[in-house]
Amino acid sequence: MKSLHQYHPIVIFFYFFVVIGLTMFYMHPVLLGISFLGAVLLSLFIQRKKFLSSLKWLLPFMFIAAIINPLITHNGEIILLYVNYQPITLEAIVYGFSMSVMLLSVVFWFGSFNEIMTSDKFLYLFGRISPAVALLISLTMRLIPLFFLQIKKITNAQRTIGMDPTTGSLWHRIKSAATIISILISWALENAIETADSMKARGYGLKNRSTFSLFKFDRADGIVTTVITCLFFVALISSYFGWNYFAYYPTFSTIELNMTTWIVFISYFALIMLPIVIELLEVLKWRSLKLNN
Amino acid sequence: MAIIEIEQLEFTYPEGLKPILQEIDLQIEKGEFVVLCGTSGCGKSTLLKHLKRELTPHGQKSGSIRFNGIELEQLSQREAASEIGFVLQNPENQIVTDKVWHELSFGLENLGLDTMSIRRRVAEMASFFGIQNWFRKNTTDLSGGQKQLLNLASIMVMQPKVLILDEPTSQLDPIAASEFIATLSKLNKELGLTIILVEHRLEEVYPLADRVIIMDNGKIISNGTPVEAAVNLRQLDAEHPMLLGLPTPIRVHHYFKLDQQVPLTIRDGSQWLSHHFKEDSKAILPTVASTNEVVLSVKDLWFRYNKTDEDVVRGLEFELEKGDFLTILGGNGTGKSTTLQLISGLMTPHRGKVTVFGKTLKNYKNSDLYNGVIAMLPQDPTTLLVEKTVQLEFSTLTSDQTLIDSIVHLLQIEHLLAQHPYDLSGGEQQKVALGKVLLKQPRLLILDEPTKGLDAQSKQILASILTQLREKGTTILMVTHDVEFSAEHASKCAMFFDGQIVSIDSPREFYCGNHFYTTAANRMCRHLFNDVITTNQLIERCAVQKREVVI
Repeated sequence: MKSLHQYHPIVIFFYFFVVIGLTMFYMHPVLLGISFLGAVLLSLFIQRKKFLSSLKWLLPFMFIAAIINPLITHNGEIILLYVNYQPITLEAIVYGFSMSVMLLSVVFWFGSFNEIMTSDKFLYLFGRISPAVALLISLTMRLIPLFFLQIKKITNAQRTIGMDPTTGSLWHRIKSAATIISILISWALENAIETADSMKARGYGLKNRSTFSLFKFDRADGIVTTVITCLFFVALISSYFGWNYFAYYPTFSTIELNMTTWIVFISYFALIMLPIVIELLEVLKWRSLKLNN
Repeated sequence: MAIIEIEQLEFTYPEGLKPILQEIDLQIEKGEFVVLCGTSGCGKSTLLKHLKRELTPHGQKSGSIRFNGIELEQLSQREAASEIGFVLQNPENQIVTDKVWHELSFGLENLGLDTMSIRRRVAEMASFFGIQNWFRKNTTDLSGGQKQLLNLASIMVMQPKVLILDEPTSQLDPIAASEFIATLSKLNKELGLTIILVEHRLEEVYPLADRVIIMDNGKIISNGTPVEAAVNLRQLDAEHPMLLGLPTPIRVHHYFKLDQQVPLTIRDGSQWLSHHFKEDSKAILPTVASTNEVVLSVKDLWFRYNKTDEDVVRGLEFELEKGDFLTILGGNGTGKSTTLQLISGLMTPHRGKVTVFGKTLKNYKNSDLYNGVIAMLPQDPTTLLVEKTVQLEFSTLTSDQTLIDSIVHLLQIEHLLAQHPYDLSGGEQQKVALGKVLLKQPRLLILDEPTKGLDAQSKQILASILTQLREKGTTILMVTHDVEFSAEHASKCAMFFDGQIVSIDSPREFYCGNHFYTTAANRMCRHLFNDVITTNQLIERCAVQKREVVI
């Protein structure tokens, strides 16, 4: 097996697509709890610093969301107190709380997704959809830093002959900025000719262009994809039959513990914990490798 | 069989008055290393571009070019793209994609190879060129030398039969250039690759070549072994500007005409010297006149780009006196260019101070500083050029016509005034940019690698301009990699290393004290004379020290 970020972009994308999608639709407290736990654990594993510092404003947000719901929703049967002759119900409080847990989970999952899905993997996925777009993006990604560098060079050069867009009268500033842009455009056009030559010289424009990437879909990718697909399938079936249904209004439905619900909980737990298991196995593997060597 | 055969090639650009290529007859054998040279505008680049069908310019063409016996036009697109590799001059502009690995695979993707073959070929080439350490980097993060190596490698993955290079090292520093040339030599020797190279920095390439072709005015004037080429050129015209560009040992040999054994390398040159000249360890060290008027003083300068970065400039200190011409040498990434920006007020140090004409930089208003005090000529002259004609470039900056006239006269660019700046050659563009900078009448002129990419003749012209400016009292500070230029024209030389100047001396003391970072002339004759640093000095000393018995 390999570490999480070494998996093929398609596998990573598929996993997060499934997990974030299910998290957004499930309001069942147990399933919410599992997803939240998984999101927190994974964040602690792969982006601990960012995660902990983001809690500062995410936790207050969670409480505010939990408080607001009972103030605007007065459904529910268990009335705790009256504010302005409006009932505040336990159901509304719990629903608001569940809602904010769900939102937080999604935010955490997205955080981990961003961490693992680096730009090159993302671009690769785009490339699968359209090779032309992929090449275009690659060319653009090359040009953007080049442009900024050149703007800096031009600005410095122009400053020393008195064309400084940061000082002087408004008219002078506009004129200086226009000069810089004009030089940049000439430079870009002039250099594009050479880049085009370099592309032509290497056979760009021939028929049957292929697309190369460093990503390889190997056995581990295959195994993980199969596991995700199976678990996703179980989740879909249980949703279809309503095994994971839970109502907050008019009052809470009971959480039954029988064969079907256990299947639902365990399969969802397995799906959510998959990346954590992968990371844990990775840690254990390295520890034993270190001991052996 | 010759791999490339050119017969009676003639070419005229559209609207060109006379042909740029005339009566070109040339055969290049498989596995040859051919160096093509000539002054700027002699048609060598145009000839090269005719060998690569995709790059052939539009115009009136006659004659034939055959590749492996087939007319170039009849080659299939696939063959034309892959079998003839072409490396251009500017390392930056040839790079197409954002990642090193993608750049390497770009050509193979175009040819439509499958992933497994691409993977294999890319791996092979990356290993050959030592690219594996920066294989996954962004192309923007590479140094100039790495970029040019990447360009070469991404051509080589296509497995070309002929490699054509148009001044590939002109934008590189000397160490990166040596590495690049060494790689070419390795490709030629180990893979039997045919190489056609246009170069004007001949010192290193010349001894490696199997054949040297010299062009002048669109014609091939000499075609033979390096030794033959050197002899031919002198016989054709003893004043030919190309002679200045030949390696030092040949130039010294040409001057004395003692025998027919032309030395090509420093090693051969120094043996040849021992053979013909007597040792003289007396040193003539002229004292440098001090004017005592401090123009620029830099005290304990520290700089870093970000708070958390390492310092780029660390405790830099030096002084410049009026009329000085200081050249700062040193490897890439040691902080030279940063230093220039600190001195010219484009960036602010976090410690230390820069004093210009007795006033610290902080106390200058920008408009005063850049008007008559400091001017900086950037490395890339096009960053200063914006108008439609050269004339406008000058007249938009000042209305003082006599000033413009005097500067145009100084730079000798009267004939360029009506042209578009982008139509000029690199050397001419630089002169125009220098002209713009000089319109501000700076008393301290800062130059960032002005000799980069210039041929020997253009360098001479630049040197004479700088000398005239110095005579008028301008102080010059220049960062350069050009050891020969610095030895010949500077009044002081400094070595920059690890964010500071580690030694500063007169050129003779500086270069005679260095062992590696010194001129070819010095390396060639240091066992005989201990004060010679330029080719002219060497010739002078040799003239006195000639052995009586000429063998």
